[in-house]
Amino acid sequence: MSARVRCIVCSVGIVAVFVVLLSFTYMMSMPNFTDSERYLSIPIEASGASNRVAGIYLNTRLFDTLIEILVFSVAVLGVRYYLRHSPKVTLPRLSESAVVRTAAGILGPLALLLSAYFAVLGHLSPGGGFAAGVIAASAVLYVAIAQGMAATEARFSPQRIAAAEKGILLLLFVWVLLPLAFGEAPLSELLPPGTPGRLLSAGSILPYNLLISVKVFFGAWLIIAAFAQHRGDL
Amino acid sequence: MATYVLLALLPIVAVVALMQSRRLSAIIGMGLFSFLLAAVYLVMHAPDVAITEATMGAALVTAIYVLAIRRTGRLTVVADEVPGLLAREGERVVGLEYDILHGFAISQGLDLSVSFVPLRRVRWLVAHGEADIGAGGIVPLSGIVDTLHATPGHLETGVYAFDTRELSRSPELAPDYEGYFSELRAKAHDGRLPSSITSLDLARVLALSRGAPLDGLDRQDGRHAYAFLVHQDRSDLQRDLARYVESLRGSGELDALIERHVR
Repeated sequence: MSARVRCIVCSVGIVAVFVVLLSFTYMMSMPNFTDSERYLSIPIEASGASNRVAGIYLNTRLFDTLIEILVFSVAVLGVRYYLRHSPKVTLPRLSESAVVRTAAGILGPLALLLSAYFAVLGHLSPGGGFAAGVIAASAVLYVAIAQGMAATEARFSPQRIAAAEKGILLLLFVWVLLPLAFGEAPLSELLPPGTPGRLLSAGSILPYNLLISVKVFFGAWLIIAAFAQHRGDL
Repeated sequence: MATYVLLALLPIVAVVALMQSRRLSAIIGMGLFSFLLAAVYLVMHAPDVAITEATMGAALVTAIYVLAIRRTGRLTVVADEVPGLLAREGERVVGLEYDILHGFAISQGLDLSVSFVPLRRVRWLVAHGEADIGAGGIVPLSGIVDTLHATPGHLETGVYAFDTRELSRSPELAPDYEGYFSELRAKAHDGRLPSSITSLDLARVLALSRGAPLDGLDRQDGRHAYAFLVHQDRSDLQRDLARYVESLRGSGELDALIERHVR
């Protein structure tokens, strides 16, 4: 089967799947929202987070979030393990154009600022640790494009960051199990929910967001650095 | 309404991304798909999911894909810098060989990547599979390693016997190409010029002398031509490149390129 025929077959397949999904959605009666209504009926004061989504995934569904973080860590491990045996790129190459380097140099700090905003205010407005971590990794990628991979790696050494990433994962798990030491159930809130809308509110959600953002940042940077080292320099 | 428009655009963008022959274009298409999906989430009042989709799908995943294909979707060329054939001009790379290789890369659906390295490194990198093609005024002589094959020549040249005293006597030669012959010149100055470097091709002679005649250079007998180097295991690449150069020659484009860059 030629590449063109494969492309056409795949395209038809994608369109068909979309049509089936849309038809299915139309044919279905209104789904049962019992579960979602249950979560929405929980008052904001219970978690203290103005952002209801953060209140759900870092409070009532915290266990799911922890497993997600674990899956991300396994992905980071997998990338580093399988690329370890691949030879490192030794070719020097022309640097990016001046326009790209200048733009990357300006965008990097701005992206870092945005990342900090999402991490710190994730319990009050849309954002959160995952998005903040990925934006921070993108910011460092911009810095790497502007200043070169060698200079960036000297500042964000993958070896040290790999250890720190695992350390933060451990810290997160210790935090959620810590209530056991006080005779409480695991995942119980250690900090008071406070007044919704205040910066220092939402119990443990703010520290969770901060820890998750640093954890995701380190993990995403490790993946980027591994690909940059083994599949092509920046 | 906006939701339906965005939903309708999703499969269209997915198909467009799938139909791209260039990997980079396909990745950009996937990034666009993620942005559209993020917009769908946004109009459905799920800004948290939209932000995560935009940052993950459009930023991180796109960056990782771009890094992953850097060595698979591109034609890696290592070259010694030779004015007229393959040289830097500000931020651009220009020259006869660059135009040939650029056209060849496009015809193969690949992105061309040129790295400038010293001449002896060109052969090493191609021989060890670190680069696809060696270029930059390569004249296939007996010195070429067994693991390398040369394509048929694309431009005739002369080879001149090399007088080591000439270089050591004139260190101010070719100031426009600082670093171009620096290694060669430093070795000549110390009297450590390797015996293997006994001849120079016409382009290098012209660059070194800046058009003025150099004493002590004797043109060697025989017909010589510039060619590209490929690894012996890459016979498919050698064949395709030879065919492409031949097609350029047949259509008269090669002569036009030579006229533009060399004469």
